[in-house]
Amino acid sequence: MSNTMPVEITVNGEARQREVEPRMLLVEFIREELRLTGTHIGCDTSFCGACTVLMDGAAVKSCTLFAVQADGAEIITVEALERDGQLHPIQQAFSDDHGLQCGYCTPGMMLSSLALLAENPTPSAKDIRKALAGNVCRCTGYQNIIKAVQTAAGQLRGA
Amino acid sequence: MEMKFSGEFTVDIPKEKVFALLSDPEKFAPLLPAFHSMEMKDAKTAVISARVGIGKISGTASTELVLEKSEAPHHARYTGKGKVMQGAYRMTASFDLEDAGNGALIKWQGETQLVGKILSLAGGGMKGYAEKEINKLISSLQTALSPDSATAPAAAKPEGWFGRILRGLGGESEAPTIGETESPPPSPEEVQRARDESRKRISSVLDTSRRDAKPARKEDDRLIKGKGLFVDDFSPAGLLHMSLVRSPYAHARIVDIDVSRAEALPGVVCTLTGKEVMEMSEPFIQIGAGSPQNITDYALATDKAIYQGDPIVAVVAESIAIAQDAAQLVEVEYEPLEVLTDVEEALKDKVIIHDETGTNATFHGIYEYGDVDKAFEEAAHTVKIDKLFFHRFGSTAIEPNACVATWDQRGEIDLFSNTIMTIPLVFIAPALRINMDSIRLRTYDIGGSFGNKITNYPYLTLACLASKKANGAPVKWIETRAEHMLAGGHGSERAYLDTEVALDGDGVITAIRSRHIDDIGAYPRYEPLGCAIWSQVLPGAYKLRNIKIDFNQAVTNKGPAAPNRGYSRLPHIWFMERVIDICGHELGIPPDEMRLKNYIEAFPYETPNGCVYDSGDFPAMLAKAKELIGWDEWKKKQQEAREEGRLIGIGIGTTLDSGTNNWGQARYVNPDAPFSGNSTAATVKLDLDGMVVVSLGTFPQGQGHETTAAQTVAEVLGVSPDLIRVKTGFDSLNDSHTAQSGTYASQFAVTGLSAAHGAAVKLKAEMTKLACFALDAGEEDLEFGVGDMGPQVSVKGADRAVNYWMLANLINSNSAALPEELRDLSLNARHVYMPPFQIPDVEKKIGNLTLTYALQLHISVVEVDPDTFQTKVLDYAIVDDCGKVINPMIVEGQVHGATAHAIGAALVETLPYDADGNAISGSFTDYAPLTISSMPDLKCFNRESPSPFTFNGAKGMGEGGGGPLHSLCAALQDALHGKDIIIETSHNSAMSMFDQFSNGKAKGVNVASR
Repeated sequence: MSNTMPVEITVNGEARQREVEPRMLLVEFIREELRLTGTHIGCDTSFCGACTVLMDGAAVKSCTLFAVQADGAEIITVEALERDGQLHPIQQAFSDDHGLQCGYCTPGMMLSSLALLAENPTPSAKDIRKALAGNVCRCTGYQNIIKAVQTAAGQLRGA
Repeated sequence: MEMKFSGEFTVDIPKEKVFALLSDPEKFAPLLPAFHSMEMKDAKTAVISARVGIGKISGTASTELVLEKSEAPHHARYTGKGKVMQGAYRMTASFDLEDAGNGALIKWQGETQLVGKILSLAGGGMKGYAEKEINKLISSLQTALSPDSATAPAAAKPEGWFGRILRGLGGESEAPTIGETESPPPSPEEVQRARDESRKRISSVLDTSRRDAKPARKEDDRLIKGKGLFVDDFSPAGLLHMSLVRSPYAHARIVDIDVSRAEALPGVVCTLTGKEVMEMSEPFIQIGAGSPQNITDYALATDKAIYQGDPIVAVVAESIAIAQDAAQLVEVEYEPLEVLTDVEEALKDKVIIHDETGTNATFHGIYEYGDVDKAFEEAAHTVKIDKLFFHRFGSTAIEPNACVATWDQRGEIDLFSNTIMTIPLVFIAPALRINMDSIRLRTYDIGGSFGNKITNYPYLTLACLASKKANGAPVKWIETRAEHMLAGGHGSERAYLDTEVALDGDGVITAIRSRHIDDIGAYPRYEPLGCAIWSQVLPGAYKLRNIKIDFNQAVTNKGPAAPNRGYSRLPHIWFMERVIDICGHELGIPPDEMRLKNYIEAFPYETPNGCVYDSGDFPAMLAKAKELIGWDEWKKKQQEAREEGRLIGIGIGTTLDSGTNNWGQARYVNPDAPFSGNSTAATVKLDLDGMVVVSLGTFPQGQGHETTAAQTVAEVLGVSPDLIRVKTGFDSLNDSHTAQSGTYASQFAVTGLSAAHGAAVKLKAEMTKLACFALDAGEEDLEFGVGDMGPQVSVKGADRAVNYWMLANLINSNSAALPEELRDLSLNARHVYMPPFQIPDVEKKIGNLTLTYALQLHISVVEVDPDTFQTKVLDYAIVDDCGKVINPMIVEGQVHGATAHAIGAALVETLPYDADGNAISGSFTDYAPLTISSMPDLKCFNRESPSPFTFNGAKGMGEGGGGPLHSLCAALQDALHGKDIIIETSHNSAMSMFDQFSNGKAKGVNVASR
């Protein structure tokens, strides 16, 4: 498996060029090649969503794509949410509403939530449940995650 | 299985005409796919026969289709139910019509619940089959609705109607769209435009204004920024990766292993087999007395594989991809042996799993209190329950087991892992033939554990051995999810056999006798401690004094058990709650009255086996929970629903979360165990720069220890928690641990905070002495607080103060002026908290086994589909009492999380095995842990009954006692009222209930009264 392919993937606004094995997953590219370890791996069947990132504006499970499939794409990971030392409202809301405990699923949860909020600024609890159905959290029982997404939606609307 | 579909399409005829077709069952029914014949029962009801088939499976489905709602000319709704191929299904379909130009827009929704053997036959094909059938229905509709129905379907294409699938039980929401079918593929320009718009929308959300605010917990700052450090995020230079070859057989002799092809693969550094592990290490210590002492448990299987997933060979390579490739090249020859998956069969010892022991039993003990025989002689009623069963499931933390081990040239080990106790050191060091101090055990962020990670020590040991063989290079091992499902630590199963309950004429339980058997899978590891731990909650919430439990435990050819949230006590409380509900059911006493008759009334309460329930009020909790849920209203709704043939059930679960173990109970499973009491250490130091630094001996996994420890220490010093730094995770270099340190058994609020509090008090005493010297004042004149120079000690009413840096400086860099009597100060205070426990009476099995008891009362309301047994949680209320609450937000989070785990276990999650020992739930997709779709909203209320036994009045909490397992089983039984059904197992998915009840089931309960 020594064959490699060149890719250029824009991650958090920065174009990154690498030679990668065709079998390299996008999540491996992000974690191992770029050392952005905020994107996590929790299963191997695309079930848990811990690896969720935004690709060209859509929430995707980065364990379900090969890096070569993201060639030319724009990727946003959790590391891009904070700016100038200030938290994004989704980060603030997850913390304020205690929407995280161990924090392992949180980056994926927040990015799936942002994809929802970009499409729907006033999501109902049902909309949130629908949008986050592919993200598993084993700590919170989801109650405070729903609350956090609603809080963030309110802050984004008021912004 | 539940599936939801929806979509819309337009047709070129007016909606009135569309409505006329859709609202007439006689015209609508023949459009259904595979329609065969029909009979109209009445104007609104058609009985349809259809031929259905998936692959080679086919059969006839008979459906009763009812037009349930018809609002001309815009809404029609059908429900249908029927039986098909040893299964049952229920469907609803509704149509909403709107004007669209000269035609009509048809919005439709369909929902199907399916249960029974057909699912296992059809497997994953069911979803695709259902989608195809719906395609056909829509096509038929379009054809029928086209202006000239003899021609091709109308030009309008169905849009967006393909594939919104709901997984799980909640039914309130749907998974993301999985794809579109028949629309033409968009052009590259369209794709690009959609992409640009999508990017723009995300950019505008990211570019929002922000405000200066800080996170709510100390831990949150790094976690919400993706800056946590989980094991897999740690990659030291020269890192190697380990992948494991695991047994596909549940029980097989290992005849031959050939690693030559694997070792020849470029990038492979070395392999390890069981034979080498035997040479390089010792078998792990066994906790239990007797036969377990003969079990040889190494980091790899040696002569036999004894469960599916048993690790056989380790492969170490320069990348994980190469290690995995090489693992595929390892050839292992097996000779399959007879498999034991039934614990009662295992106890017969016809097949032996650990050859060296001669028996599969790992524990037998009788727990007998009071005068059981007399109570039965005097009983007005005796209820006999043949068998109850608590199923196998796991908390499946989202981060799998993991470590990075480095055994360097000095012989020192750096073990960075996500274990959760110091106990593993006690197992690992002797196995590796080294001193405990030679291992630097450390953790940082841990992605959940819920007890499971206590038993990852064989893998940690293996990674150390791999590092040694790889000449001291760091070796990373990250368990895959598939490995976790097979071998990562399951909660054990428990069978309750031949239970008898004695009651007086008033329905008060006077005695219970029963025989319990734990099935712990292949290796004991942390077991047989569970054989003692359940007895912390011997009588549950009830006042009976006469109890005899014959307790057994055995190994089987299944994945090894690990402690799992509510470890061992939860299955026992489930048993007690089932007993209460079954007795109430049989004697015609409502479940709330049954509980009020039997609840323990006054606290502190000493149980028949010497445990002391510290504080609480069960009747008050029940009253509050009934108020929260709206008990009377639900009773009324339930009655109305029953009249309509709907099954609504209301159930109560009363549970206890016992916390802070007296390790003396380990002597119940091994009288020679050198354990008793409990001890947890913490250090609080005033660092060189005057910062207060706290090191805990705990292994937090999301419980917010940094936050609450900072609160506790800050309160002692009279400063803000922001000024306290709490080190993240555990590090044996901090010297803030004992052998019992860890995050287990619902104890941090008691043990961890008591240790931190004690250390803070000691530090403050030292600081006081130094400040007296520095300020030339008496102790009584000093005041701790914050001033212009930061945190300080000042003289009351005077303008004299020293800040923390000045005090630290007196010890660390400016000590010459210190008087002799102050030279024994260190400003590095270590405190070991030891709760006031005695050694239990091992003979009689009497003693106080835990310090605190947090109490929970849950009430759930469910609706069960009478044909498919699909269960929906309609309402859920929780009253929690964990004594004085240190941090309400964190406590509530734990309550939610514990509730979610037990809802998942009760209705969705199970780890079954087939008769050959194949694990059926081998991936997350099969196991399907509870998602946000299936989680009901919770109504929570907190009571505070401070514990008299802790410095802060707090009780340990977090495991939660499994309230939903109790309340949901009770609610299901209530829902099935009148069918004379008893809920006998803890897992009641639609599938499980359909298998149990669809063909009628003999009730294994009878009552003798006199």
